[in-house]
Amino acid sequence: MGKARDRTEDFKDAVRHTARSLGYDEAKLASVMASFIIHKPPQKSPFSKAALKTLESIGELDQFLLKHRKDYTDLHRTTEKERDSIEHEVLILSERLHSVTAQFDQLRAVRFQDAINKAIPRRKLNRVARNDSAETSKSSDMELREPEELRAEPLRVQQQLLDDETRALQVELTSLLDTVQETETKMVEMSALNHLMSTHVLHQAQQIEHLYDQAVEATNNVELGNKELSQAIQRNSSSRTFLLLFLFVLTFSILFLDWYS
Amino acid sequence: MSLNLRQKQTECIARMLNLNQPLNAAGTANEDVYKILIYDKFCQNILSPLIHVKDLRKHGVTLYFLIDKDRKPVHDVPAVYFVQPNVSNVQRIVSDASKSLYQSLHLNFSTSIPRPLLEDLAAGTLNSDSIQRVSKVHDQYLEFVTLEDNLFSLAHKPCYVQLNDPSAGDKEIEELVEKIVGGLFCVLATLAVVPVIRCPRGGPAEMVASALDQRIRDHLLSKNNLFTEGGNFVSSFQRPVLCIFDRNFELPVAIQHDFRYRPLVHDVLGLRLNRLSVQGEKGGMRSYELDSADSFWVANGSLEFPEVAVEIETQLNKYKKDVDEVNKRTGGTHGAEFDGTDLIGNTKHLMNAVNSLPELTERKQVIDKHTNIATVLLGEIKERSLDSYAKKENDMMVRGGIERGDLLGVLRGKGTKMDKLRFAIIYLISSETINLSEVEAVEAALRESEVDTAAFQYVKKIKSLNVSLASANSASRSNIVDWAEKLYGQSISAVTAGVKNLLSNDRQLALARTVEALIEGRTNPETDVYLSFDPRAPKSGSGASSSHLKGPFKEAIVFMIGGGNYVEYCSLQELAQHQQPAKHIIYGTTEMLTGVDFVEQLTLLGQKMGLGNVGSSSTPAQ
Repeated sequence: MGKARDRTEDFKDAVRHTARSLGYDEAKLASVMASFIIHKPPQKSPFSKAALKTLESIGELDQFLLKHRKDYTDLHRTTEKERDSIEHEVLILSERLHSVTAQFDQLRAVRFQDAINKAIPRRKLNRVARNDSAETSKSSDMELREPEELRAEPLRVQQQLLDDETRALQVELTSLLDTVQETETKMVEMSALNHLMSTHVLHQAQQIEHLYDQAVEATNNVELGNKELSQAIQRNSSSRTFLLLFLFVLTFSILFLDWYS
Repeated sequence: MSLNLRQKQTECIARMLNLNQPLNAAGTANEDVYKILIYDKFCQNILSPLIHVKDLRKHGVTLYFLIDKDRKPVHDVPAVYFVQPNVSNVQRIVSDASKSLYQSLHLNFSTSIPRPLLEDLAAGTLNSDSIQRVSKVHDQYLEFVTLEDNLFSLAHKPCYVQLNDPSAGDKEIEELVEKIVGGLFCVLATLAVVPVIRCPRGGPAEMVASALDQRIRDHLLSKNNLFTEGGNFVSSFQRPVLCIFDRNFELPVAIQHDFRYRPLVHDVLGLRLNRLSVQGEKGGMRSYELDSADSFWVANGSLEFPEVAVEIETQLNKYKKDVDEVNKRTGGTHGAEFDGTDLIGNTKHLMNAVNSLPELTERKQVIDKHTNIATVLLGEIKERSLDSYAKKENDMMVRGGIERGDLLGVLRGKGTKMDKLRFAIIYLISSETINLSEVEAVEAALRESEVDTAAFQYVKKIKSLNVSLASANSASRSNIVDWAEKLYGQSISAVTAGVKNLLSNDRQLALARTVEALIEGRTNPETDVYLSFDPRAPKSGSGASSSHLKGPFKEAIVFMIGGGNYVEYCSLQELAQHQQPAKHIIYGTTEMLTGVDFVEQLTLLGQKMGLGNVGSSSTPAQ
């Protein structure tokens, strides 16, 4: 295994060296070096605190599952009621997480809708900007007419070329801006669609889980049916035996009565 | 100890992502710590063949950014930086620290950060009063790109031009050599081995080998040794040999068309960082990943292209048979009979089918991927007659010549301009002597196709100046061909050509043959004059030629200066697998080049020497 070389000590040496060259006195240098050793405790935002709390809940759930894994899987250690109670406690938190996720997706959908609505007025602003640029070019044309009478022919041609280049550059930049804004709008829509798809995938996960439960139940029913069929076959066999015995007894009864009379 | 470069580099990166703490037994990071990963462009190229986005999640990385991108503050989370040690990155880190973007900064430099840069970092953070943000500073020694288990690249470009530029000064050459030595040192530090270094005399290979030897010696003397695992007295059986070569050692390999799957995908479709973009069936671009997770690519990358097509067909038929079997066992033919035993069997088969479905889906995806790639490759092969180029170039290298009619016919036939230029250069290199009239005819044919002949004229010039280039190529011919040539006369040239065609498939690269001799330690007139460096041996005994240095090696690292490609890699892997007992060879290079990339560098060199079409500013079209 290759090793990374720790250069933190070299960094501290460089800090010390640079601090001295910058004119730090010993007290200030000591406080700077102390900040390496005693890092300030970070101020956590309320969101981070809530997120860590949720993470602790999930960790507790994981511990609960680990603790009860043997109980759940071993047939002799628990009854059906205890197993149901374990499932019940787990499903409470699972459903709560699902509901929180659904609410979050709804809120995010609203946000993206606002973003899409904001993108549309920008197009209108862009049209107004284009009108302004058209007016600017017209006024620049009018300004150029007066110097035509005074300037010489080569200067006029050169200025014409520069004007054409400026206009072409303006058209190019305007089309580029249109393309970028269109791309931005499409990206925002794609993001919203992606989150919608995430919600649908979660919903499908629930449906698949339901289908799996139904499949397991169907398998159990099929096993019960097989068991019933086996019992019916056995009863058929025993009834045949009883029928033979009954006929045999009747035959001997008739023979006995004939002999007696 | 088996050298698996990809695995070792991945482990180093995983530990870096875990804030340089040891990983727990499960191999994942502590789940309570979330972090942000910030890298620069070069380190992104290092990470992308090794770590996927879902793997980043496993190591607790929730966000990842390029360092040059504007980033918003996330105050509660530590940041892991993985950047090259250069001035712009250091300034960017100082800016991030002064803005208090993150809770703490864990700095990881891809190679050793020099002292002046470290002092700049200290001064910047001190001036902005953000010194407490910096939590750790590490040198990672990971400045190389690992593409496969035994394949790495230093991603230096364009190395060949800088090494062979006639106007380059000594200072520039020394900077380049130091850069290469730094990259090689990172590879050796990651593998934690101290190799025995062998190289030919003269040229860039000797410069790099000498500088690397000195670098390792200096490092072994210092404290915090990166190689302490190896111990001081390991036997030669456990130390690898590092063979350093220059591109001019075997120039035609970089130019020649090859017909094996992996080289074809790289050369024709532009495989880069194990990723590939090809035209899909419905017109859109499809992106594929070809790495060690793709078992088809691992197993069949060295086959010739027709064999790969047969293998795809075989895999597809096997897949269809498996799918039919699953359908048969779970299908409706048994449904008509309402019988207890069959119902139980059906349930089991249904469970087996459900369990095997993900595996079948994955196999189908792999087959579809390679079917698409093979289809696009076949289109390119037909359009450009690549099979003809590969066969004729191979014939030229084996036989040392070609009929004039064939030569000019190829240059006027199918293929891009670059294909013709490559073919012409192979002709030039493979000829024993320069036939002036033929060369002029070739140049005229190239000009008819509007090809820039600067590269051709450059190779012609260095060929006339450097006879060793020709001798290296003439030595690469197989002895069997010489024997066959003596046995058959010219009166039965057709039979001889047939035999040579069969033998040409077994032609070994000069590089593979030389590496084989160095690994075995056999007496060889070519390799006996090679230089040896042992960084662990005392320097005063450099003249002693102990058998310890030349003993048989189990592992080898082959490094090509000035660019390499998958042809050499495949050849070396074949050599490693055919040895008894099996050897282990790692191949590395300054840059993975396609033939077009290399010929473009030759064109640049030709233009610098004033050759080629003067005043022609058009670049050759592909």
